[in-house]
Amino acid sequence: MTSLLEVSGATVRKGERALLEDVSLRVAPGDFVAVVGPNGAGKTTLMRVALGLQRPDAGRVTMNGRDVGALSPRERAAFLAWLPQRVQVSEPITALEHVAAARYRFTESHRRSEEAALVALARVQAEALASRPITELSGGEQQRVAVAALLAQEAPLVLLDEPANFLDPAQQLELYALVGQMWRSGLGVLCITHDINVLAHAMRTGSEGRIRVLGLSKGRVAFESHYDAPDLGEHLGRVFSVRMRAVEVENRRVFVGMSLERGE
Amino acid sequence: MRTRLGVMLAVCALVVAVAPFIGPPMPPDARDFILWQLRIPRTLMALVVGGTLSLVGAVYQSLFSNPLAAPSTIGTTAGATLGALVAIVLGARASLWGGLPLITGAAFAGALGVSLLVAAIAAGRNVRMNDLVLAGIAFSMAAGAISTGVQFSADSAELLTAMRWTLGHLPQVGYQNIVMLLPIAVVSVVGLLSLTRALEVFISGEEHAESQGVNVRVVRMASIGLGALGVAGCVAWCGPIAFVELIVPHIVRRVLGVSRRVLLPCSVVVGASFLVLCDAVARIIFPGKETPVGLVTAALGTPLLIYLVARKPS
Repeated sequence: MTSLLEVSGATVRKGERALLEDVSLRVAPGDFVAVVGPNGAGKTTLMRVALGLQRPDAGRVTMNGRDVGALSPRERAAFLAWLPQRVQVSEPITALEHVAAARYRFTESHRRSEEAALVALARVQAEALASRPITELSGGEQQRVAVAALLAQEAPLVLLDEPANFLDPAQQLELYALVGQMWRSGLGVLCITHDINVLAHAMRTGSEGRIRVLGLSKGRVAFESHYDAPDLGEHLGRVFSVRMRAVEVENRRVFVGMSLERGE
Repeated sequence: MRTRLGVMLAVCALVVAVAPFIGPPMPPDARDFILWQLRIPRTLMALVVGGTLSLVGAVYQSLFSNPLAAPSTIGTTAGATLGALVAIVLGARASLWGGLPLITGAAFAGALGVSLLVAAIAAGRNVRMNDLVLAGIAFSMAAGAISTGVQFSADSAELLTAMRWTLGHLPQVGYQNIVMLLPIAVVSVVGLLSLTRALEVFISGEEHAESQGVNVRVVRMASIGLGALGVAGCVAWCGPIAFVELIVPHIVRRVLGVSRRVLLPCSVVVGASFLVLCDAVARIIFPGKETPVGLVTAALGTPLLIYLVARKPS
């Protein structure tokens, strides 16, 4: 059975203002959907709606056809796992404890949770961090541990919320390489970002066409396209209010933003 | 870590075993009576109350992600005080069914009433933890204001009784009262310990916990409700014993770490023996006088906590 996350016509209002208006998207295992848009476009609201943390005022969110509001948190956790922008722990627990906590949805012994957590840490080459307090790790190490937690939850779909926001270029590259591995292992990825270029680290040559890009602007879907679409640059430029040029670097397509005024 | 745990448990066991024999010398003819009818029931009461209060403190600190959270944060103590004051003014000597003092019953009702109001607010979908702390403070202030009004209409004898009550004391109880408190404490402690796993997930934030499968609203309500039940029981019999619920979890956390699977059960054990120790100390500092144990918990616990904080900054 495939696991299909479907957001259809989701609208969220805050007073008079629409944070999200009539947004629809679908993610299934093996899909890669990137949601791009400037700050304030409604990306975070869309994320919270997709997770079932916020109920849309209109439209609906379904997991395999069942409304998220009708699902228990455990059922939702079995379906969709979330990687936040940064790990925010209130206490210096160890990396192993943090990853083992992600096994909450399973009814299993503590020992079993820890074994699964160690396997997940090994998959992101972070076994050595297991007994270190998570608050003492660097930002890049923390996100690697967070990815291990994501894997430990064993959901078929993952939602990434600007996961490289606080990382330096080397750490960004490393993180998105992990995201690419998850995608190729069959997970469905819904990735929210304002930096389209980080996606280049997640893909191998030839897979560009399989990355769907959804542009969000002022709460609405501004465009739906693919990473290799010829007009993606124009679309992106419009959403971000800049000129976006697609450039080929080492066989990878990246986008460079230029000011509107000095246009040709 | 394992040796630290072992040493801590051994020290606790030793304290509890020795405590009944600490105190003014017992005359040989009254020895059996003092030991079995006075000191051992007091020690048992201290065990139950200290363990329950400390666990609730540890759970609230975890739940609110706030190192200052305590039963007083959500209005439990203020509610109990209000209930006790009303009972004192109405006539403290009256007793309810089965020899239960009216003060105890009224304090219990007050503590539970105010806490359940806060727990009801916690049931809301879009409630943040800080909102709950604010609601608790607001209810505390309201209960405090009413209490002041009640005190205003009391005479001086009643005021003295009320003042003694608010200091926190271990009453000279028989076994009967322990039997009445025990089921309340057991429900609270066992219930709260069963939430350990969910509280572990809470460390990385409520929304993240919910995305990992925790039913945040249920855990929140259950923690506050069970905690309020336990604290209401303890406060009803002993008055608001200061600082135990705040200090003990911090001591455990400094010595044994923050892992919830260690912190919560160890808070019960350490809190129980800490209050037993304080009770024994209270017996010897002013022999023959009933020193309120609340003074001793503050006097012993505060320097210990400050020492631990200063030694190992986190």
